[in-house]
Amino acid sequence: MDPIVTTTVIYASILALIALGFTLQYVLMGIPNLAHTTIAFSSTYLTLTMFLLALSPYLAVPLAALYGGSVSFLLYRFLAFLRRRKVSLVGLMISTLVFDFAIYGGMNIYAEYIAYGLKAYTSSFILREADFVFLGLPGILFVSVLISAFFATAFHLVLTRTRFGVAMRSIVENESLAKVDGVNVDRVLAISWFFVGAVGGAAGALYPLWFSMDPWVSTVMLTTVFAASVVGGVRSIYGSLAGGLVIAVTEIFGTSGLSDLFGPVMWAYRAAIPIAATCFVLLVMPQGLGGFVSQLHRRRARA
Amino acid sequence: MNVILNFVLDVAVFLCIYLIFSLSLNLEQGYSGIANLGLYFPIIIGAIVVGYLPGRLAMWIYDIGGMNFVDDNMHVLSLLQQRLEADALMSIALLAITLTAALAIGWLAGYLAAYPALRLPQTYLAVFYLSLGETLRVVATNTKYLVGGTLGVNIINPFWFLHGDSYLGMVAFVSATTIVVFVVYEIVCRSPVGRLLRAMRENELTAACTGKNVPQIKKHVLAFTFAILALGGALHTFYLGGVLAAGYSRSDFSFWPWLMMIVGGTGNNKGVFLGTLSLVLMRRAMIVFKNYFLFLPFSVLWLEPILMALMLGLTIAYRTGGLLPEKPTKIAA
Repeated sequence: MDPIVTTTVIYASILALIALGFTLQYVLMGIPNLAHTTIAFSSTYLTLTMFLLALSPYLAVPLAALYGGSVSFLLYRFLAFLRRRKVSLVGLMISTLVFDFAIYGGMNIYAEYIAYGLKAYTSSFILREADFVFLGLPGILFVSVLISAFFATAFHLVLTRTRFGVAMRSIVENESLAKVDGVNVDRVLAISWFFVGAVGGAAGALYPLWFSMDPWVSTVMLTTVFAASVVGGVRSIYGSLAGGLVIAVTEIFGTSGLSDLFGPVMWAYRAAIPIAATCFVLLVMPQGLGGFVSQLHRRRARA
Repeated sequence: MNVILNFVLDVAVFLCIYLIFSLSLNLEQGYSGIANLGLYFPIIIGAIVVGYLPGRLAMWIYDIGGMNFVDDNMHVLSLLQQRLEADALMSIALLAITLTAALAIGWLAGYLAAYPALRLPQTYLAVFYLSLGETLRVVATNTKYLVGGTLGVNIINPFWFLHGDSYLGMVAFVSATTIVVFVVYEIVCRSPVGRLLRAMRENELTAACTGKNVPQIKKHVLAFTFAILALGGALHTFYLGGVLAAGYSRSDFSFWPWLMMIVGGTGNNKGVFLGTLSLVLMRRAMIVFKNYFLFLPFSVLWLEPILMALMLGLTIAYRTGGLLPEKPTKIAA
């Protein structure tokens, strides 16, 4: 398989899951969680730890899910406390930075600690050699697709087939009305945030098995995840999955095409593609992919 | 004695520069309700203008050919230093042209960036600007001809003509500019424009119903503050004597000003001054005293984000208005 295609598939799988979480948190509480990518990508150090302990890096995935879910849950508790104190939406958004800073600082301390203690590379590390090969292809290709498909399906089933999903959708529509209707909003939100954090943590843990990881990757990835969310449609949960795919394909194939035209130096500008896509979508199709599809459905229903 | 004086001057300059950043943010968020997490977007623009323009302009004026400003940076600068040390008028002209260009480009960037951004909900708008800043940082870091790419570039000092006192000249200029900026922001905030901005912040719909063009006002606010932020970025670069685009992190140039504003008091310029002063003092002290923590198996500077998180969390949770909360507008009876 062409390495560009392999890279795109793995990247799209990881990005779509993280974008799904970012959008879901926004839709549920009206705030973008600025710590989401930091939570997701800090779990890469669990993968590195497994590798350094001579264990399979894939063992880090369930641990990363538990870690991501727990941190996300704690963040939700903090936000819920602030909401009770009538902090504004912007104040709540800024409050997510509390976790972003703390995790970022902690991640760097841990990275330097194991760099000194174990004499290991903890920045710009890549763990491809620890991966297995299946049918002549890297194992991460199959695992990332399977994990993405699993979480996306599980999420869809929860949302459409369970009472919990109905409660979640009712909160999205109107939180106050859901409360009046007997929905335990606090519990639903807490579980949702745990789920989103777990998905992000699991997705992030896979990243260093194919891509080079640095502590600052979470910073750059926030831009990409945000772009995926906007392209998918700011309030569209399923759209964010599609947005993740579109941004991954555009970013990697776009940069590859540009590098064919102008030389390999264009790979350095890869990070500019998501923001260009965001601007384009906002100017041409502000409702995003999700909104566009809903519009088509409405038109068809009217016809 | 010189060590203490240098520390005081260093703190004074960083206070001034960060005050420009946090006051601009206060006009955007504190008075107008426009959340912008990408303050470093216009700041990097100002830095790029300073890294790109005055050196090349001086090379053209003094007819220094056959050399590239980035590749032969140190050689070019030594030649320019010889010329500019003896040419005070040209030094000041270069400074004025550069700062005007930074203001103009910052204003234009603010106005243009507002077009797609204002289609987003308030909180997403903040992330949009954050993304813009991050993208510009990556582009500037990887574009060598702009400001030296990953290695950065050194720039001229417009106060070389003061010889041994060039540092003091720079400190005085930065301080004077900051005072002007502070006065301008105070005038804007106390004027009817300030009251209009507060009205827009409180309820956009009501402001629109009274005939105010809310999107247009937001565009003007963003263009104005972006221009001042670019000016701040330009002053910061002149003070440092060089540009390294990779060094413009979102933490230092966006989140710290947010913390300064929140700790000081959103919607109150004096509170913002207090917040900026306390946090600049804390940060400079950490840098000075970091050598006492060499026994730790990691750099003590990584404790900075954790400390920042603690301060932010405690302020938002227990003192939402900051040290000096916003006061209600007094209207003459």
